[in-house]
Amino acid sequence: MELIDKLSILADAAKYDASCASSGAPKRSSRGKAGLGSSNGMGICHSFTPDGRCVSLLKVLLTNFCLFDCQYCVNRRSSNVPRARFTPEEVVRLTLSFYRRNTISGLFLSSGIIRSSDYTMEQLIQVAKLLRETHQFRGYIHLKAIPEADPRLLEEAGRYADRLSANIELPTLTSLKTLAPEKELGTIHSAMGHMRQRIDAANDDAQRDAKRLPRSANPKRMAPIYAPGGQSTQMIVGADATDDRTILQSAQHLYRDFRLKRVYYSAFSPIPERPAGLPQAAPPLLREHRLYQADFLIRGYGFQAEELLNAPGNLDLEIDPKLAWALAHRDDFPVDLNRAEPAMIARIPGIGLRSVQRLVDLRRLRRIRYQDLVALRCRLETLRPFVVTQDYRPADAQRDSTRLRQSLTQPQPAQMALW
Amino acid sequence: MANASMSPTSSAAWANDFDEWRTQARRLLHLGVPPASVTWHDGNASHDDLFSWQEPPSMPPGPPPAPIRIGRDQLTLLRNAARYRVEGHGQSRWPLLYRVLWRWARGDAAAMHPADVDGRVLHQRWHAVKREAHHMHAFLRFHRCDDGRGERYLAWFEPAHDVLDLGAEHFADRMGGSRWIIATPRGGVSWDGSALDYRTPCPKEWTDEARTAAERANADEEHALWRTYFVSTFNPARLNHRVMTQHMPQRFWRHLSEGDLIPMMEAKARHGGQRLAQESSVGRRKGKALPGGRSALPRSPSGGDD
Repeated sequence: MELIDKLSILADAAKYDASCASSGAPKRSSRGKAGLGSSNGMGICHSFTPDGRCVSLLKVLLTNFCLFDCQYCVNRRSSNVPRARFTPEEVVRLTLSFYRRNTISGLFLSSGIIRSSDYTMEQLIQVAKLLRETHQFRGYIHLKAIPEADPRLLEEAGRYADRLSANIELPTLTSLKTLAPEKELGTIHSAMGHMRQRIDAANDDAQRDAKRLPRSANPKRMAPIYAPGGQSTQMIVGADATDDRTILQSAQHLYRDFRLKRVYYSAFSPIPERPAGLPQAAPPLLREHRLYQADFLIRGYGFQAEELLNAPGNLDLEIDPKLAWALAHRDDFPVDLNRAEPAMIARIPGIGLRSVQRLVDLRRLRRIRYQDLVALRCRLETLRPFVVTQDYRPADAQRDSTRLRQSLTQPQPAQMALW
Repeated sequence: MANASMSPTSSAAWANDFDEWRTQARRLLHLGVPPASVTWHDGNASHDDLFSWQEPPSMPPGPPPAPIRIGRDQLTLLRNAARYRVEGHGQSRWPLLYRVLWRWARGDAAAMHPADVDGRVLHQRWHAVKREAHHMHAFLRFHRCDDGRGERYLAWFEPAHDVLDLGAEHFADRMGGSRWIIATPRGGVSWDGSALDYRTPCPKEWTDEARTAAERANADEEHALWRTYFVSTFNPARLNHRVMTQHMPQRFWRHLSEGDLIPMMEAKARHGGQRLAQESSVGRRKGKALPGGRSALPRSPSGGDD
C-alpha cells in the first residue's frame, strides 16, 4: 500500500480523539543546533478543518488493526473497515516533512492494540525515540499510553513525550463492561497513578535543580524529564446513558487524584458498521460544549461539579452553566464590584477571569463604574441583573429567577406569521 | 515644567519606528508640549509639508530634566501597540502613544488600564498585534526549494501589522540549521542558519523566489500528502463553518495549500456526507473485520522483558 493511502486511512481512524493540543511543553530551541523544532509552552493551531477543530499535530494511528472490540470504536476488531499499518520510519518522515513546511507543531501518535499491549507500546516509543534521538526533533510529541503495558514502558515513553494520555472513554464500570469488555477501569487508573507519580517526581526534581545555585556550576540537570506537558484523557459523550453529573464528577476526581492537565469530552459521532445499541443521531455538540464550559468552571473558577449539578441529570442546554448557577443562587447577588472578593466576582455570569483581574487592578486606582464593564467588553446583557457598581444598581434585582431567565433567553418578540 | 514662552502653539514630529518615537516623545515631554499641540507623522522629516509646521524648540539650557520612568510592563505595552497599523489615510500610530505617555507622566496611572478611554484602545491594539503574530506562526507556509545553492525554505506572508521580526525570531528557533526566507509586501527577512538579515523593502528576487517555490510546490508529493491528511482528519458529522472562519480568517486561505479544499469539503458534508464521521473515500475501500477469539489480553505478558 502506498504511503498516501495509509495516511488517508490512519488519519481517518485517529480523528475520534478530540485532543490536538500542543501546549505545555518546556522551552526548547533549535537555534544554532543540529536538528529541528522548538516549543515554548504555547500551542499553535496551524489550520482548522471545516468542523472548526484545530490542526496542531499530525494525529495518526500507527495501525488500526486492533485486538479489542470496543463497541463505540470504528477500529474495533469486528468492524469491517480498511486496515493499514505505518512503519515507524514512515511516521517520522511525515512528521518531519509537515513540520518543516510549518503545517504542524508535532506528532500525536496512538495505535490499535496489536500482538500485545507491551508490543504496541514499544512500537509507539520506537517512533518517538527515532524522532528525538536520530533526528533531534524538538517539537511536540503526544503519545498514547497503553494502560495494560508494563510500567517500565510507560517510564520510557515519558522520557520522549511531552504529553501522555490514557483514555477513560466511558466513565462508569457498567458502561465499560457492556461496551468495552477488554478495558478495565482499574488498569487505566493505575496507569494514570503511575504517570502522576513520575510527573510529580520530575517536577520536584526540576524545582530542586532550579534552586541549586548557578547554572554554570550545575551544567547537567539532575532531574530526568518526564512528560513535562502532563497527562490528559478523554470521555465519550452520548454513546451510553451516563449523565453529565457523573461525567463531571469523574472529571473532577481525575483532576484531583491524578492531576490531569485536561479532560477532553468527545461527542459520539456516528460510525460505519454501527453495532446495535449505539446512537445513529448527529453528535451532541451543544452538550459537549456545555461540558467544556462546566469543566472550565471547575478548573479555573473554583466551582464544584456538585454545585453545577446538584442532582443527577444533564446540564441545561439553553443557558450556560455559570448563568444557571447564578439564577439558582439569587441570594448571593447582586455583587458589589467595588467590595467583593475576586473569587465571588469570578462567579458573576458574563465576567471572565481576565476581566476579574482587570477589575481588581482598576479598583486599586479608582472606583469601578458601569462604563468600565463596557470598556472591558464584558457580556453586559448577561451580567446586568447581577452587579452593583458606583453608579449602577440593577432594576431587576428583585425579579424572580424564572422571569429573569425568560428575559435572558427569549429572543426579541417578533410578529407571528399569519399562515 | 516648561514655561509658557517655550510651549509652541503646534509642533510636528516624525518617527519611523518605536525607538525614534521614544526619543522624540521624551524630548517633547521634557519641553512640556501637550498632546493636542503635536502632529505626528510616520516616516522621516525630509519631505515638504503643505503647511509649515513650527519645529519644536530644542532643549533649554540648564540642568538636564528628571528622567521619565515607566515600568517594563508599560514599555512592553507601548512598544507592541506601536506595531499596530492604523487604517485610514493620514492616520498615524503615534498620537495615542504620546497622549498615554503624557497622562502617565502626570501621575494618571489609569491611562494604561484597559478600562480607560485611551488604555482600552492601547490594549486592543496590543491584542490585535499578538493575534497577528500568532497568525504568522500558524499560517505561514514554507515551500522547499532545491537549487544550485542547496536546500532552502521560502515563504510569502501578508501580515496585517508589523510582526515580521516576531515571526522571524520564532522561525529561527524552530527551523534550526535550515536556511529560509520570508517575503512580505513591506519587508523581508532571511536566515542563513546563524543570523537574521532584515531588508525593507523586500528585495524583488526574494518575492519572486517565494512565489515560484509556492507554485512549484503544488505539484510535489509532500503537498499531496498534506492535503490528504487535511481531508482525512476532518469529521464531516461535526461541520461548523462559523468556528472555523473565526479561528482561521479567510484572508489566509489563499496561501494555504489546503485552502482550496475547504469549500469542497463543506459542500460534500452538507450533501449527505454529514451522516458519518468517516471520510467517504476511506469508506469506499475494502474493509477487513479481524478474527475474534482473544476476548482479553494477559495483563502483563511474560514476553515483556525479552
